Amino acid sequence: MDILIAILDSAAVKWLFVVLVLVMPLASLLTWAERRQSAMMQDRLGPNRANIGPIKLKGILHFVADALKMIFKEDFIPANVHKGLFALAPILALAPVLIAFAIIPFGPTIYPHHLRTAIDPFELAQNPGSAAFADAIRMQMFSIDFGLIYYFAVLTLANYGGTIAGWASYNKWALLGGLRSSSQMMSYEVAMGLALMGAFLVTGSLEPGAIVAHGATASMSAANPFNWLWLWQPVGFVLFFTAAIAETKRAPFDIPEGEPEIIGYFVEYSGIRWGMFFLAEFIEIVFISSVIATVFFGGWQVPFLDVDGFRIGGFIDPATHVSVGGWVAPLPHWLVALLQFMAFGAKVVLLCVVQLLIRWTLPRFRADQLMNLGWKLLLPLSLANIMVTALIKLIFMGS
Amino acid sequence: MSATHDDHEPTEHAPGPVVLAVSKRHPRARTIQVVRPGMADTSFLAATAKGLGITLKHFARNLFLPMRKAAARSKAGAPTDVSWRNEIETVQYPEEKVTYPERFRGLHRLMLRDDGAVRCVACMCCPTVCPAHCITIIPEESDNPGIEKRPAVFEIDELRCVVCGLCVEACPCDAIRMDTGDHARPVEDRANAIETKATMMERGIRSIARQGGEGPNWRAHDHGSPSGDDEH
Repeated sequence: MDILIAILDSAAVKWLFVVLVLVMPLASLLTWAERRQSAMMQDRLGPNRANIGPIKLKGILHFVADALKMIFKEDFIPANVHKGLFALAPILALAPVLIAFAIIPFGPTIYPHHLRTAIDPFELAQNPGSAAFADAIRMQMFSIDFGLIYYFAVLTLANYGGTIAGWASYNKWALLGGLRSSSQMMSYEVAMGLALMGAFLVTGSLEPGAIVAHGATASMSAANPFNWLWLWQPVGFVLFFTAAIAETKRAPFDIPEGEPEIIGYFVEYSGIRWGMFFLAEFIEIVFISSVIATVFFGGWQVPFLDVDGFRIGGFIDPATHVSVGGWVAPLPHWLVALLQFMAFGAKVVLLCVVQLLIRWTLPRFRADQLMNLGWKLLLPLSLANIMVTALIKLIFMGS
Repeated sequence: MSATHDDHEPTEHAPGPVVLAVSKRHPRARTIQVVRPGMADTSFLAATAKGLGITLKHFARNLFLPMRKAAARSKAGAPTDVSWRNEIETVQYPEEKVTYPERFRGLHRLMLRDDGAVRCVACMCCPTVCPAHCITIIPEESDNPGIEKRPAVFEIDELRCVVCGLCVEACPCDAIRMDTGDHARPVEDRANAIETKATMMERGIRSIARQGGEGPNWRAHDHGSPSGDDEH
């Protein structure tokens, strides 16, 4: 049993779980959902034909057909490209977004010995390291204090994929796309990082797991939606969401791609190599959604679901460990954990749908509009957000 | 440009730009007030929210409401009010087909006489007028002593056909028509795209039109009786 827990608690198993169960299926489904959703938004039906015999599933199998098509296409490498970098670029685009998931807390900490009982939250809060809670499976690969910094560092690496692809392709349009990509990334990473600094000031932590577990303030339960950072950092949320969409290089920020103009840095790519860029883009959507859900929408927290069950109002008497007042519905630990897993999944899916909605609503910015928005609007606003947040914190919380 | 343009001044009906100053030497040269979009407009926030509302409305409506065309397809007497249904316009082609207009020019067919013989008398009007040279007719002598010729071979290459309908216009016998309402069918071999006399006669029906030149004016008679020219 201990060995099993140790294996389940290892980073490799968790990474496989996240990638195979959460990220890859969601990203693959997004390739279908994007076409289907955009069609619905434009009063069309979209792809609904792919089937295995009578199984159609509203066309979900289109992503299987697409993957098979890309894998079996000719692996064409044009003459004059830099073969080494040309082959390396898709991997550089795909790998960092998969690694970045290491900091995402995708579920609650599971205590295998308490699955059938309701956990005493007071006991857990007082002695988190006690023998009763020693065996725990934390649903986060790396709980590191500089988690969000790590995210910026790793996603910057993903930018090299596009830039190197543009350089290695021996194609003017690809090179332009690569240059646009790197200039856009550099511009928006500044605003994106500073937009999250407000969240850092409020919670005092850059560790996503701690942000989810504690919320904005200790005076409320972390499961209370009003304790999530969307309420405490509304400007930071809008700024970060905007900059993060720019970071995914999708419309309205898709000037590195710009289909009518330059096709983009992957113009010379085909088959599964192109598919890797494509998939990396969709995984990035899932990742951005995960970060936003984690930082601004309470991650795996279900509204009003504490570790021992639903509790609306009331509090726990520290002396007797009994809930006082409010409405309480105790639940066993396994059910609480399951609900919290599903809550995280639901939040991520919902945010992905919102991103698709934005992508199919807004037209592409011009390059100068893009730079103006990034440097003249988002950056000053995020700086102001930091100042105002710091002032409010200093005045009202005195620390 | 008319002279009235020169002394045009902003009026209530056509409000022009706000004039700040008028040049004395050149009265048409004026300084006008330029309204530049403010931060609220250049940040695109309001416009973005409005646009998202529109697309979200369409998405939700098309996702959750039942198909509109299902109501149209259902039997007569079904409620014609489709306001609570979705707005999807897609036609699921192989299963659903739109009705073409009455005069849609489609696949050719060869019309028949009362005895089932082909109406065509191999006059060669249609291959002559055809701009795409897609009609091949090889005439032969007809069995009927009243008719001089008939086509031994009548082929139309549907890949070359430009669907102009001139062959139908040129035909003096109402022998060739394009009123099947059907497309040239997709084929895997070019040879299969050639319509032969047999395949075009399969689609044919008996024509009520009198063959040109014979008998009294057919327009004077009852149009509904499907009588052929052989009766006269």
